[in-house]
Amino acid sequence: MRDALAPLAEALSRQAEIDARAIAARAEDEAAELVAAARRDARAVLDGARSEGAAQAAADAVTSRVEAERRARRMELAAQREALDELCARSAAAVGALRDDPCYPRLLDRLGDLARASGGADLVVEVQPDGGLLAKGRGRRVDCTLGWLAVRAVDALGGEVRRLWAP
Amino acid sequence: MSTWAPVEYTGVAELRGPLVIVRGVRNVGWDEYATIILESGERRHGLVLDVDRDLAVVQVLEGTGGLGAETTRVTFAGSPLRVPVGAGWQGRVCNGRGRPLDGGPPILGDDSAPVAGFPMNPTVRQPPTEPVITGVSAIDALTTLVRGQKLAVFAEGGLPHLELAAQVAAQAHTGGEPFSVIFAAMGLTHGDAATVRDILERRSSAAELTLLLNLAGDPVIERLLTPRIALTVAEHLAFVLRRHVLVVLADMTSYCEALREVSAARGEIPARRAYPGYLYSDLASIYERCGRIRGRPGSVTVLPVLSMPGGDITHPVPDLTGYITEGQILLSREVPSYPHIDPLSSLSRMMRAGAGEGRTRPEHLDLAAQILAGLSRARQAGELADLVGESALTRTDRRYLAMAQAFLVGLLAQRPDEARTLADTFDRAWQVVSVLPRSELSMLGEQALEAGYRGQE
Repeated sequence: MRDALAPLAEALSRQAEIDARAIAARAEDEAAELVAAARRDARAVLDGARSEGAAQAAADAVTSRVEAERRARRMELAAQREALDELCARSAAAVGALRDDPCYPRLLDRLGDLARASGGADLVVEVQPDGGLLAKGRGRRVDCTLGWLAVRAVDALGGEVRRLWAP
Repeated sequence: MSTWAPVEYTGVAELRGPLVIVRGVRNVGWDEYATIILESGERRHGLVLDVDRDLAVVQVLEGTGGLGAETTRVTFAGSPLRVPVGAGWQGRVCNGRGRPLDGGPPILGDDSAPVAGFPMNPTVRQPPTEPVITGVSAIDALTTLVRGQKLAVFAEGGLPHLELAAQVAAQAHTGGEPFSVIFAAMGLTHGDAATVRDILERRSSAAELTLLLNLAGDPVIERLLTPRIALTVAEHLAFVLRRHVLVVLADMTSYCEALREVSAARGEIPARRAYPGYLYSDLASIYERCGRIRGRPGSVTVLPVLSMPGGDITHPVPDLTGYITEGQILLSREVPSYPHIDPLSSLSRMMRAGAGEGRTRPEHLDLAAQILAGLSRARQAGELADLVGESALTRTDRRYLAMAQAFLVGLLAQRPDEARTLADTFDRAWQVVSVLPRSELSMLGEQALEAGYRGQE
């Protein structure tokens, strides 16, 4: 009886062996595939990270360059502003010094004429203690004080002022 | 008026809201520029709104807060507002009246020009022929902006139209030719203004950009000056200094609301939706200041950006703007991705003059037409698919749907900080049409298809 089943047992065991080998081979293939896929993924992740890093570095470089340029521009504009303020201060001082000039009375006469020519002959002229004069009439006045004359002198320069900082 | 001895009028009859009524004035005209001097010496500025014999109505730009009728003095310039013009504007940030906000000195120029400008003589106008590259694929490929053109951007509520305007202003160029951008921001909140400034920083530091910033809290009459100052500066840069200038005006709806407010203060008869009856001619006096002049190399291109109240394209502001401008770019909420440009509702009427061989790419116009035709067919197929299901569509129709999707993802969708080259844009455009079978691309020539088509068939 046992002998009679022997070929069957042998065939089953052979089949089992073949199956086991096939399963093992498939498992090996799958494992190799998994490893390869994992390597591919890792490479892709690495490449992605590398290019992302490079892009970030480039973006950071642009940001810091832009920031530096902005800072430089701010400083340049602030320096120009300071130069203009200095010009205003110096011109106010220079115009203020006219009070000590021997020609000052003639300047006042001339300013009085100017004020009346502009605002009307009925304006009453008052000499101001800070220099210059104020001409007043009904509903209008003309301010020819030295302080305002200095401001108008700088305003009248217009684009000339840029020569303060032009190379 | 004497420069050295200007007359100061002290007879302030009334202070009413932003208005100062001055009596006893002589030789003062409408729209004249005025300076208001406070008791403290502070100087404010205004415009003459009306003159009746010796009475002048002056609207104070900075408002009348702190003014006393007894102590206020007003001088008149003898002319409408003029601004200094020249290269000094480049790289500067100013308020809506052109006063510096960047810590620098006032803008100084050798020359000055009236902000109201002069209409361009139609006989010396030259038709546009060259493009402005915006770096935004959907605009460059399908609604190309052309030098000297006026092309409006219409946005439905809640869409990032200011970001798009700022992106275009930050990226736009004309190849290697001298180029400047003037961004006139009107009625912006502090948040929006900060966003716009951030986006523009790169160009601003390159000294090619001028930013005029009129905030929502600034006086409305200042808002009426902002676009005019921008255009006055642009005209000088373009036609005297020979640069190509792009003027971005955002948001024109805020400008029109300011116009409505000033019109109401003047007691004018309101027209449609209470806007003044002259809204059309007022807008035309701004938009028509673009163009090119024969014999002068520069150009002024105007990009007005406006939000449509309630998403209504028939609202007076977009409606009248649409009559004047040469096309529009429509931002729609139905387009899910930034920049939300709806290609089938957008059109650049000057595109034919500025795109194609020798300007952008030889196949540009055909490729754009092919994409638009494809998107139109895809829209029809999409509507059909809504009824019968996508599986019931023909294979070709399904390819059209795929093409529309490829357009949305590959060409239209763009990051707000992404500047695309023309080559990149065309590369993407070819990828979009290559989703379709070659037999469907009837608008493209054989030579162009040989060079650009990358599909399977």
